[in-house]
Amino acid sequence: MSLTLERIEALAPDQSSLAAARKLLKASSWPTLAEGDGLVWGECHGSGATPYRVAVSEADAGYKCTCPSRKFPCKHALALMWMRAGRSVAFAPATVPDWVKDWLSRRRGASTAAAGNADDEDQPKTRPSMRLTEIPEAGADADPKAEQRAAAARERNRLEREAAMLAGLDDLDTWLSDQVLHGMANFVAQTAQVCRTITQRLVDAKASGLAGRLDALPTRLFTLPGPARPSAAIRELGQVHLISEAYRRASELPELLAADARQAVGWSVTREALLGDPEAMRVDGKWRVFAVISEAQPDRLRRVETWLWRQSGADGAPQCAVLIDFVPISGGAVGGYLVGDQIEAALSFYRSTIPLRAQIAELKTGAEQSKEPFVLPNGTLGASYAMYEHALAQLPWLATFPLSFRSARVRRHEEQLYLHDDESELSLPLQTSLASHALPLAGVGRIDGVGLWNGYEFTLAWAETKLGRWLRP
Amino acid sequence: MNWTALHAKVMPSLLAGTSRRGLPSELIRPSSPSSDGALEMLSLMGQALRFERPATPDSFVVEPEIKDERRIIAEGLRRPLVRVLTAKNATEHPARALARAFERLRLRPHPFDLPLIDAFVRSNAERLGPTAQHWAERQKAEAETQSYFDPELLDEGNWAQAAISRRVAYLELRRRDDTDAARALVESTWAQEDADARFRLLQAMQTRLSMADQPFLSALEKDRAPRVRTLAARFLARLGTGVENPAVRACMERIKQSQSGLLRKRTILQLELPANVKDQAAARWILQAFTDVSFGELAGACRLTEKELIDASAKDVSLLLALAFIVTSERRLDLFEAVVAHLPNAWERMFESGLDTLGMMTESERQRWEEIIVQPYRKDLPTIYSLWDWLHRITDAEALPSVMSIALKTKLLMKVPERERGTFPWLEVIAALCPAPQRHELREQLAEFEQSQTVIPLVLLDILEGMENERTHV
Repeated sequence: MSLTLERIEALAPDQSSLAAARKLLKASSWPTLAEGDGLVWGECHGSGATPYRVAVSEADAGYKCTCPSRKFPCKHALALMWMRAGRSVAFAPATVPDWVKDWLSRRRGASTAAAGNADDEDQPKTRPSMRLTEIPEAGADADPKAEQRAAAARERNRLEREAAMLAGLDDLDTWLSDQVLHGMANFVAQTAQVCRTITQRLVDAKASGLAGRLDALPTRLFTLPGPARPSAAIRELGQVHLISEAYRRASELPELLAADARQAVGWSVTREALLGDPEAMRVDGKWRVFAVISEAQPDRLRRVETWLWRQSGADGAPQCAVLIDFVPISGGAVGGYLVGDQIEAALSFYRSTIPLRAQIAELKTGAEQSKEPFVLPNGTLGASYAMYEHALAQLPWLATFPLSFRSARVRRHEEQLYLHDDESELSLPLQTSLASHALPLAGVGRIDGVGLWNGYEFTLAWAETKLGRWLRP
Repeated sequence: MNWTALHAKVMPSLLAGTSRRGLPSELIRPSSPSSDGALEMLSLMGQALRFERPATPDSFVVEPEIKDERRIIAEGLRRPLVRVLTAKNATEHPARALARAFERLRLRPHPFDLPLIDAFVRSNAERLGPTAQHWAERQKAEAETQSYFDPELLDEGNWAQAAISRRVAYLELRRRDDTDAARALVESTWAQEDADARFRLLQAMQTRLSMADQPFLSALEKDRAPRVRTLAARFLARLGTGVENPAVRACMERIKQSQSGLLRKRTILQLELPANVKDQAAARWILQAFTDVSFGELAGACRLTEKELIDASAKDVSLLLALAFIVTSERRLDLFEAVVAHLPNAWERMFESGLDTLGMMTESERQRWEEIIVQPYRKDLPTIYSLWDWLHRITDAEALPSVMSIALKTKLLMKVPERERGTFPWLEVIAALCPAPQRHELREQLAEFEQSQTVIPLVLLDILEGMENERTHV
């Protein structure tokens, strides 16, 4: 049981949502309240004729509501969690209804029991919405000829996409050559304009990975100080060319690096494909959420990265993992994980030279705020940075990389804060937007912790200090 | 090709553009016959830059060592505290109550929470201890910052290093025990004080003001700060050694003196307001007109004793109001009680005047002042939010149990129209005023309100009780 009042409070998007949820705590507002298989669900009277349907997974505080609210979680989901946590209202034991199973089959990291039941029922995995009527099983009366036609169509589409991508990469080369011809100083001056053109072209070529990278480039450059932008442009455009070349010559590359190149250009692996891949690396252990980073993307989606640090389990396996979700831009955290949560789970890692991105294959215990100390490796910041350099050598377009450290200090030079390692004399500039929040760390001496390095600035996420724990807000 | 060569030869071409400055041909290694090698150089340079370690600054700021003897509030109170202080519609009442509790209990916020409650820290830095003061002043130039010293007990040796509010309080105590020693203490640091500190320290000198203070006050007639000069002149006038106070003369021109009574003649005083001062502006005018007048000067000008002056003004509400301002400013609560006995709506009249400070009154004096002003209403306490809001702001103290018991017994909160309760933070101001022994009773009354209205007041009460009773402050 992981639903507690503290957790609900932390999940609430604002104080007024909690106040609104409090008004719905009366059983009379809920014609249906039921529980089963680690889930609670109910129907809540709203302003319309049809009650809103709300479901919550107790294991990880995942939620779904049919109301049109743009707050996530909405007051209905909060109220349902609240009633459950407070045990103030009776929930009738019941069989999980279809609309809840439907939601469950589409979300990641569902609880073992619930997911198991969903599988038993052999429900379709990818339904677009919470439906009230049953959809006919796709595979029940499958026609072999139709399947063959579909497979052929898929292969044709794949080949067409490959061809479109290669044509797009040729255009990209031309564009990159133009930028080199005119110089990076010129590029920086009109980044937004020139990137927009090639981004559109790459979207047309279905190279969504590269398109996204170039679409985000102007923003990334503008977050840096003016003098650092031209050299940053060289780094970024250099990586784009590397990816493009690696994709073209994938057959000459090691298998994992080729997979990285395909993914960086725009081929994606679905969750189902990953979980169904017997060769995918699977790591069991206790995982601690040390950072949840949410960024709005230009495509009106919010990218939510949940970073996990392994607290137990096999040596040699990845120490860190990131779950990436995309939610509507108006939404909040998608999975309900909070910094400090601990889960026991088996994670499946996407195939990569440096495996970081993963999916929850099996959730053994739900998320709980843990008071246990954060288990960190013994290495200094210098040692962690050396690991980053090693990883960069293996995967040249490596993006964000987690760094743990012990006995580092936060120090200040003018207005900029640095994480400084006395032993190696390494100083990583801290993320500028964290300056105010991290400033109290400048007076506390040596700290242990973990954060994320993107090659430009360090996002300090978690620190253990003599004054207690510091967490990125 | 090494990094130095790459950086020296390739970087300038990439920055300026190969159309202006060609790439060095001897370094180019095209990956295919169709390539001119420029993009390969771009990637190579980009990757080389990625392996360049970030530059370490030549020097780092040496952070000041802050000796903060206060305990940090218990871990469990941190989140509710941040929530209350950063709530969307947060008012200043919970913040005031919390700042008082921090000061009274000698606690401090957790240093990691300071960025989250920055506005609160800036407004109440002196009450939150040296670490918070340092935080609030972090953007000031080094020369402007104070030393961050907050010992448990002050003495003459460490007095000068403490926060100004504690120094003023200490000076007042010393004035009560030994006026000469207190004056010597002030004189010893006077030259180093800024204008605000000089004014506040001089205000504290009015406790047991005597002729022995005259040389010091006379020297202040040339002080750089006009408000210090004015205050010194006022004190000298009160001692009867300064020039005649022009404010007294101006007031006396508007006070009409007459006699009444058949057997025993009694003096009657009446304040004539200027013709252009309308009713609603009268209180404000009176406050301004009598600001620089002392009770002794006024009594002397009317040739009456203090008690006679109040009795003579008993029938004139404007003059009574003026006397209420004067005795408030002079912290003469005995006289204030006598004035309010004739002016039962002093609370409303003083609120209308825009009075915004009780000057140098100590917390217990402010509480007693509040008790005096509230008592005449008895069971008919006003249900006007602005009056309670003003009362809490001006006293900046918990109410005395006698005052709160009136509010609770008369069920003041129930009497407030529901519509107004939704508009103004009634419950917050009453929770902030409520003294510890009556919190239980207040909670019982809050339970009768809609839960959404009681979130902040209840959390505030929880935090205050946690601060008072929690044993796990560190």
